[in-house]
Amino acid sequence: MNNLHGIIFAYGETPDLRELSQPRNSCSLPYGGRFRLIDFSLSSLVNAGVTDVGIIVHSSYQSLLDHVGAGKDWDLARKRGGLRILPPFGYATKNRQSQYRGRMDALAGVYSYLKTIRQDYVILTDGDMVANLPVEEAFEQHLQSGADITSFSVPSSISAPTDTNYFQLDEEGWVTDILVRPNSVPEGCSVSLGSYILSKELLMRLVDYCAAHDIYSFSEGVLLGDAGKGLKLRSYAFDGYASSIKSVRSYYIRSMELLDPTIRGSLFRSDRPIRTKEQDTPATKFGTDAKVVNSLIADGCVIEGTVINSVVARGVHVAKGAVVENSILLQHTDVQEGATLKYTISDKSVKICAGRTLSGHETYPLVIAKNEVV
Amino acid sequence: MKKECVAMLLAGGQGSRLKALTSKVAKPAVPFGGKYRIIDFPLSNCINSGIDTVGVLTQYKPMELNAYLGIGAPWDLDRSDGGVHVLPPYVQEDEKGSWYKGTANAIYQNLGFLELYDPEYVLILSGDHIYKQDYSKMLERHKAMNAACTISVMEVPMEEAPRFGIMNVDKNDNIYEFEEKPRNPKSNLASMGIYIFTWSKLREYLIADENDPDSSNDFGKNIIPAMLGAGEIMTAYRFQGYWKDVGTIDSLWDANMDLLDEDSGLDLYDTDWTIYARSAIRPPQFIGPAAKMTHSLATSGCEIWGEVENSVLFHSVTVEPGAQVRYSILMPGAVVKKGAVVEYAIIAENTVIGAGAHVGEPPAPNSEEKGIAVVAQDLVVGDGAVVPSKAMITENIKGVEA
Repeated sequence: MNNLHGIIFAYGETPDLRELSQPRNSCSLPYGGRFRLIDFSLSSLVNAGVTDVGIIVHSSYQSLLDHVGAGKDWDLARKRGGLRILPPFGYATKNRQSQYRGRMDALAGVYSYLKTIRQDYVILTDGDMVANLPVEEAFEQHLQSGADITSFSVPSSISAPTDTNYFQLDEEGWVTDILVRPNSVPEGCSVSLGSYILSKELLMRLVDYCAAHDIYSFSEGVLLGDAGKGLKLRSYAFDGYASSIKSVRSYYIRSMELLDPTIRGSLFRSDRPIRTKEQDTPATKFGTDAKVVNSLIADGCVIEGTVINSVVARGVHVAKGAVVENSILLQHTDVQEGATLKYTISDKSVKICAGRTLSGHETYPLVIAKNEVV
Repeated sequence: MKKECVAMLLAGGQGSRLKALTSKVAKPAVPFGGKYRIIDFPLSNCINSGIDTVGVLTQYKPMELNAYLGIGAPWDLDRSDGGVHVLPPYVQEDEKGSWYKGTANAIYQNLGFLELYDPEYVLILSGDHIYKQDYSKMLERHKAMNAACTISVMEVPMEEAPRFGIMNVDKNDNIYEFEEKPRNPKSNLASMGIYIFTWSKLREYLIADENDPDSSNDFGKNIIPAMLGAGEIMTAYRFQGYWKDVGTIDSLWDANMDLLDEDSGLDLYDTDWTIYARSAIRPPQFIGPAAKMTHSLATSGCEIWGEVENSVLFHSVTVEPGAQVRYSILMPGAVVKKGAVVEYAIIAENTVIGAGAHVGEPPAPNSEEKGIAVVAQDLVVGDGAVVPSKAMITENIKGVEA
């Protein structure tokens, strides 16, 4: 399939990620031991045969650039098409805000890029959503159904993004009602994953209309507003795992969910692998006294102590006598002898000195910022 | 374009001593150390030593090796000028082409490739050694001594010297005599099979060797003795550090186990000398609630529910609940089903060990031999089956009714 173009939104700011979002945009947040959040949307697109992807960024995207590079690890370093990072070129000169106010605003900000899209169809998706989406199947459904816009959605019963849009659907999957960030969710609603497939022609029309009428939000402006009046909106029912990470608490919960084999099975399928930047780390070494229980451990670690119910990223060292419980250790965290961590999220290259004891709580995990020494 | 030094990696050997492990792949493509294949070591050494042009001479079962090398991107050897080149034997003028007759003949048949880069020096490497070496230091010595040939040597215990090609040297470490597996060695400097030649000299001797119908066209047997006999400057470069020939089942098993030993001298966690590899795209490994994982290596995609100790696990290995793995090497995708025991064994890629089966057994006390059992790739050992030590399994084994 090569008639679908990917646009990934990576401009949002997520203050609720506290220290974790200081050095980075939420899309480059490390997740699941070896991934960054954007790996999921990028891989979903690439696995569906999408060859051209634009990533819309606005601020603090240096770590994202570092991660995706020229797109080589996703086979997107191409002579024609491939990966394009789209900063707000010329945006400031038009007297706009210092931050995109919504998706339509962001799309208008990269208008010249949109005009160059070679494909007839476009998929819009968030760069910080965790899901392995069957984009190819959804695209086929979109073409067959004759819908103007197809949205990915999941039943509201399974874990899903909150603070989003909900759809009332008829039996054939057509959207009969849209609830934007409702206070309460009626029975039987589907949750929108914020990923939409539509034709390039319609997208351009919507962007033009919204720019002329100062409409900046896709949800309010297009789905509910005048711009989308009369459009046929359909839902693609996704039955796998999907989550969105907007706060430290959801980061913690979503990370811990990876210890569930069913959720891992839904995210990490061998027919649709989640690709990420290769780091050339050796195998992980478990010491003679290592005790590891119910944990996800990435490559390049040296585990000599105890690790229980935790997610451990590449290159982490857990020394003898150290105990790590219900915690998330990002790359190159060094937990020295006899230290104890509970309900703690340590960012990259954090050093926990010998004998220190740190503990957060399930509802409020302790976050240690990048490069800090405790 | 002219290059100072081009490496030629001999990767065509059948590796028949690795038996079941090389039934489908060439020896250099045999998995090693949880993340790697043997060829990653010489290739990574090249790029880390500043050598960006490598010819890989293939012959035996090259498909998987070729696919693994690709355009050389994992080793940063995807270059517009130089990079990695796979060099199989080919039909030449007058249909005179032939299989590579020996190590020297393999290079002879590719004189055209070397002429393309017109190097000053040629580095000859083998594809069956595990070590980290800075070839640029060896080249420095070669240049300083104005040598025709420099041979990398290491000191081995005197009692083991009869197993190696031994270099006898003068006080300047210049070689005056080479003895292949001498019964009464005069020195303990063993050749590591790593040579640097001055290209013009090598060319001369390769052509002469090819014209000698009695020659077996081998570096150790023919080229080196001929150069010594002619009085060329031949010098030894003393290598210090870990080096192991992994040409046999026991030595391959040993070298993998050395990775678990803090004092083996082989440190793969050293970021100044990274060993690069083409990696599998898999999520991190999962260690289950009742699993035991000690003194072992494991990598991405593993799902460990049983007990693993003193073992090396490659990517995507599954050890089911109640299964036990000890002193073993499980290659990518191997599955050990419920209640099975695998000990002192090497299980090759994607092989399934059925529930309750028992593969391998500990060596007898005071035994020199480890008696490693080997199960080749893509096989199924049925439920309850027993595979004794030293077994070399190349066909499926039926299950045993409980």
